[in-house]
Order: sequence, then structure tokens, then C-alpha cells
Amino acid sequence: MNNYTKNIRKISSNLLEDGRVDLVLGFKRGTLPMASVPGIARTPEEAQGFVWDTNCRLNLANYITDQKEKIGIIAKGCDSRNIVNHIMENKIPRDQVYIIGVPCTGMVDKNRIRALLDDEIKEFKEEGEVILIRGAGQERVLDKEAYLRDNCKICTHRNPVIHDDLVGALVKEQKIEDPFRDVAAIEAMEGEERWNHFEGLLSNCIRCYACRNACPLCYCPACFVDESKPQWIGKGQDPTDIRTFHFLRAYHCAGRCTDCGACEEACPMDIQVRDFTRKLVKDSFEIYGWEPGLTLDRRPPLETFKPEDSDKFIK
Amino acid sequence: MKIIKIDKNDWTRGIDKSRETYQLFGPVTDSGQSIFKQLDKNAYPEMGGTNSVMSPKSVLFPQTEKILAASLDASMENHHIMQRPAADYSRRAVIGIRPYDAKAVRLVKLNFDTADYRDPYWCDAHGATTFVGLAVNQPSAVDFSISMGSGPFGEEGLDVLLVDLEDHYLAKVLTPKGGAYLSDAGFDAAAETDASLTTIETMQLAAEAAITTTVPTDRLQEKALLDLHGAPFWEDLAFTCINCGTCTFVCPTCWCFDIQDETKGKSTSRFRNWDTCMSPLFTLHGSGHNPRGKKTQRVRQRFMHKLKYFLDKYDQGTMCVGCGRCVEKCPVNIDIRSICSTMNAYDPKDVA
Amino acid sequence: MAEKRIKIVAFLCNWCSYGAADLAGVSRMQYPADIRIIRVPCSGRVEPRMILAAFREGVDGVWVSGCHPGECHYLEGNYYARRKFVLMANLLSHMGLDKGRIHFSWISSAEATKFARVAREVAHEIVSLGPNEKLVKKAG
Repeated sequence: MNNYTKNIRKISSNLLEDGRVDLVLGFKRGTLPMASVPGIARTPEEAQGFVWDTNCRLNLANYITDQKEKIGIIAKGCDSRNIVNHIMENKIPRDQVYIIGVPCTGMVDKNRIRALLDDEIKEFKEEGEVILIRGAGQERVLDKEAYLRDNCKICTHRNPVIHDDLVGALVKEQKIEDPFRDVAAIEAMEGEERWNHFEGLLSNCIRCYACRNACPLCYCPACFVDESKPQWIGKGQDPTDIRTFHFLRAYHCAGRCTDCGACEEACPMDIQVRDFTRKLVKDSFEIYGWEPGLTLDRRPPLETFKPEDSDKFIK
Repeated sequence: MKIIKIDKNDWTRGIDKSRETYQLFGPVTDSGQSIFKQLDKNAYPEMGGTNSVMSPKSVLFPQTEKILAASLDASMENHHIMQRPAADYSRRAVIGIRPYDAKAVRLVKLNFDTADYRDPYWCDAHGATTFVGLAVNQPSAVDFSISMGSGPFGEEGLDVLLVDLEDHYLAKVLTPKGGAYLSDAGFDAAAETDASLTTIETMQLAAEAAITTTVPTDRLQEKALLDLHGAPFWEDLAFTCINCGTCTFVCPTCWCFDIQDETKGKSTSRFRNWDTCMSPLFTLHGSGHNPRGKKTQRVRQRFMHKLKYFLDKYDQGTMCVGCGRCVEKCPVNIDIRSICSTMNAYDPKDVA
Repeated sequence: MAEKRIKIVAFLCNWCSYGAADLAGVSRMQYPADIRIIRVPCSGRVEPRMILAAFREGVDGVWVSGCHPGECHYLEGNYYARRKFVLMANLLSHMGLDKGRIHFSWISSAEATKFARVAREVAHEIVSLGPNEKLVKKAG
């Protein structure tokens, strides 16, 4: 058991023992290899089921929206930024969450790792920065760093930005020379090519809305896709409807997206939905100097303005 | 029992030949995902791959299907009268469907083809379709089909069962429909029946032995429905569900749909789209009331329907065939195997 | 001009740009008839989904116009709108929609001449792009 897991269990059970929280949100071992999935503990015993490894890809801030109980929450860098978002957007008061911060060194890309073996991965083991995967007749030892998710590779906020406790020493933040290389690559395409890029991206979308539902930002009581008066968007497999959904979903995250990657993690069809939100992350940063979820003291870009904002595009 | 031997060198030629008389569907890789699709002229079913992400249910029950249409142009004959649009129900064959998915078609039939109601779209498609199955030699880790009354070599719902033997297939002809497909494809080399059956049986036993997950279902039927409905475990079980529709969309037996009308210019169409009981909209009443407004209620509904209501209503086993897709694709790994075990073992007396 | 008549939807704010359109009309100024006006309380009221709804229904271009900065009837609605529009227009063009299909302007209720001029500019640009095929919902 790694130290993080040990400390998560200890801190969580202490909190529950002392009655300082009603429940703790963390990750538990799933029923498949490479599945560390959200789980809750209401008793110190249940907290012994918590784990931490490099498969804790989802964002736990997703579960604290409008909760009434006092919640302890395990938060890596991106989760903590979404907790800040939630506090700013009045989805939960600061004193209702006890944030157990986890300095994070990134989560691995399960699809790239799965692709390494001819058949299923039967076992996944992690020792420090080294990963061992085993299939029916194959075995591979991997350097974790080389298999990080795309968003983790360029993450510059690995340490929780807000926390009440920490499970380990802070880690060194990465310095990324050109964090928006991926967006720039799409920007460099011709218009038609960009259109086709996104068309191809969405060709397998089944509209399960896992991307929306895994996202901590998507908490509207009625999503625009579910509205019927007027009905903004058709419900079928029409490509225009699918694209409209993805555009508007992404746009609703403008100035709020922390690039945690939960949307891509949840997608059953492995669609790179971050290609939509990344453009907004870039623009929010380059135009408004804004990185979401870092501070409670400034309002997000679409909630405020400056009289001197650029007018260049306006006639 | 007739058994045909198909040399793999003849396979593509046979597939091509069968295209003359059948529309073919099969597993293909699209943007890295294995899905069942109608095969283009030069596409071949990818046999022997792992479980497809999407089940073949879409062959009979497309995610979006136009069921009625009308013209709003008053100068046209029959304007404003909704009519069933023409659709191609010529012979089709689904190549490479897995036994548990074929069993799922049987279960879905119980809903779409009853004594009282017959869904013309599904039934017409079903009647036109020949199911050429492929036995699972190497079951995946999430395969629990045996527990759910199917199995890697299950024959229910199939017209032909192919068994992969490296350089050739042995094709078990299960119905006349299956025989017709094979002869149209030009596969006619009869194999020696007894020896082939022995070979197949050996392989079947090996495949079945490779499935180590057993999910108990034996006590589901005797449980009181309201006991299970009121069981205390649903709340915690549903807590981590993010309420997406992945489990229902990848499920080969989920058959629910929603009706939508769309009008554009002078034409109007009525579609049905897959719907999902995970969505709050699924049960939202016109009054605004929602009997399943809470996530827990919706999660409970899905499992109760599959593992209890269906069982009670039809007495044909569970409405789960153990393909493992939902286990694998659920973003938070809510595992029907453990939920089924929990339900099967639940006794209200233990809680009180 | 292209075979199909170009359609442009203009979302004009009640207090300034709509007034300008009105003034342009009563002053008998000429501007292209391709423009269909939808009056909105404020440019800040215009949401991306409204713009997408317009494209969905088959328009070839969208034009949003409000009061000059500092002159919003609601004091700051157009300042918020300005931020929204930048991100939205950028993302739409990122997805491959022609940039010239979406336009923004600030036109006060006295600027009938500007209204007519911008209307001509907008129409000219959209006509030169031709009919729009993207984000259009086709009959099923």
C-alpha cells in the first residue's frame, strides 16, 4: 500500500470517527484492472476501502453539488480547482467541505496502456513511478510518466490549490513551454479541415451524455438538450444535433473548465471531447489571463468585464 | 445436425458472394471502436476481435429510426397524413454476432413481438435477418454469460454458429435460414458430423471453463418485489452513478425508446430514438411530476427491470445476457454482477 | 448573387440598434433585404444557442448588434455580451464554421447611416460566402 492510500484512509477515518464530516468521498478499487472509481465512506471501516493510484481519473467535485451533508473529499489538483469553482458558483459553502488534498503526479491514459497488449489486461500494478501490466501471456513494465493522459502531461497545477489537510508533501509543478500546442495544431488547419476534424471526432457519438454528466461544471437542473419549449436541439443521431450538443456543452464550460479530463475518461466511445473545451481554455487564458479555479478572490471571465476589453472584432 | 467446414481461404470469397443476396452487417472498427454496422461493398466483418463496444441491437433497432412521415404540401396527395416510409427489408445477415447478443435478440423479441402488439419495424427487420454467430473461444474477463443462461457457445437466437479453428470455421447449421445463407455464400463442404461435434464440444468446454465469474440468480424469483424495491442498499449503490446513459446504450437488451416529431419546411417526420431510464426526462410527466425524479430511483429501476420485473413477468430468466459491456463501459464501474449478487442474497430480515 | 436567396438574422437590441434600424427605415435609407430582424432587450440577452438555432433553421449568417460600450440601457449588458461573443465566435470558427458568418456591431439609435452601412457590409460578406451548409438541420 502506498503512503497516499495509507494517509487517505487514516485522515478519512479520523474525520468520520470525530464526526467532523458525515461522509468522505474518495476512490475505491473497482472490479476491473485500471478502475479506481468514486466511492463513499460513512464509517471509519468503510474508509479502509479507499485507495490512491494512477487510475483515479474522474473528478470527485462532481458529487458535491448541492449536497446537504458535511463532506470530506479527496482532491487532486484539478478536483480542488473544481471545488473552488463550486464554492464560487454557490454550489457548496466552503465550510461544508473538508478538503483532503492529494499532490498529484498525473493519471495514466488507460486506452494507450490497453493498446499495448494484444488481449485484455488482467493485472495492473503500480510501484512508485513504474507500472506493471499483465495479460494472458504478456507482461510489460512501463514508465508511468510516458503514459500520462494528455491533460496530465501539460498540467501546471498538480498540487491542490485549496485544502484542509494533505496526504503527502507538495510535488514540484511542471513548467510547460507551450501548453496549447494541441489547440494550435487544430487552429493551423484550414476551415474545411477543421470542420472535418470535428466531424470525424464525433462520428461515433451515441449521445449518452457521459461527458456532460462526468463534468463537475454541468449541474444545471435542466440541461439545454432536455428543454422542450423551445426545443433547442433534436434528440436523434443527426450530425447537426450531435455537433450542436458538443458545441454548447463545451461553451457552457467557457472560463470554467479546469481541463481535468473527466469528460474523456467517461466517454464510452473514447471521443476526444477535450478538443472542444481546450480552445476555450486557451482563449480564456490568452484573452482574459484566466485559469479557472485558482482563487476565490476573482470572478471568472464571463461573469465580469473591463471597459477596455478588446473591441477589435466589433464593427 | 448439418455441419459445414469453411476454409478461411474461402471466407472472403463467400462473404462477397453472399452480398449478392444479402445486406451484410458485422463488427468493424470505426475511429478505433468496434461497432456493428452495415458493411460497405469492400468491408469485411472483423471476426475474432474482442467484444464490440456497441451491441448489434442497432441492426434491428437503430438508435434513430424514422417511423412515420408526411408531406405538408397541400398540393400533394395524402398530405398531412402520416405514413410509414419505405424501408429496405430485403434479406440481411449479421455476421459474427456473439451468442450472448443473439440471446439478447430473443429477449428483445418478447417485448416487440407479443400476442397483443407487434412492432412492425423491429419485427420486419427481425424477419429479414439471418444471424450467423461466432462462438467465443476466449471469453473476456467481464463475460458472465453462463450465469445469465447464455454462454460462449450458446445457440439461442442463432441461425448458424461458427466455431473458429485457426485455419477454418466449423459452421453448425441451426435453422433453414442459416442453411440458406451458407448455400448462398457457396459454403457447402459438409464436415463429418460426429467428429466435428466432438471438436466443438471440446472447445466449448474449454471456453466455458475460462469464464470464472459466476453470478448467482437462483433466488431472485422468490424475493418479494417490494422487499427488493425497498432495500436499503440502493442509496449508496447509486451515489456514484453519474446518470449517463452509457449502460443502457451499450446494453444488447435495453429496448426503450422515445418518440420525437421533427418538422422542416414542407415535410414532417416521426422518429424513435433510443431512450434511457437513467435520464430524468425518461419519466417526466406533462404535469411536471416525475415519479423517478431521484437518481437512486432511476438506478434501482434499471437493475430491478433487468433482474426482477422482467423475470417475474416473462419467466424467461433475467433481462441480462452477461456480455459485460456495461461493466466495462460504466464510467464509474457500477457492476451489475455485484448488484445481482447483492439482490440475490438480500433478506430484509438481515437488515431489520 | 447565389441561386438561393441569402438569409441573415440580426439580433438587435431594443434600445440602440433596433432604433437605428427604425430610423434608417423612416429615413428611407437603402439596405439589403436579406436581413431579418429579431428585437432583443439587450445584446447581453443573446445566447449562443440562439445563434445556433438560427443556423440550424438554415440562415446563412448572424449579426448581433447592441449599444456602444458605456451606453447600454442596462448599464453593462453589452460589456458581458462582448466577452461572450469573443469566446463563442472563436470556438465556432475553431470548429470550422466560416468566420465571416457571424458579425457584431455597436450602433446607437441615432446612427441610422452606420446601420445601413454595416448592414451592407454584413450582407456583402455573407453573400460572398454563399449559402451556409454547416450546422444546418436537414429534413429527416
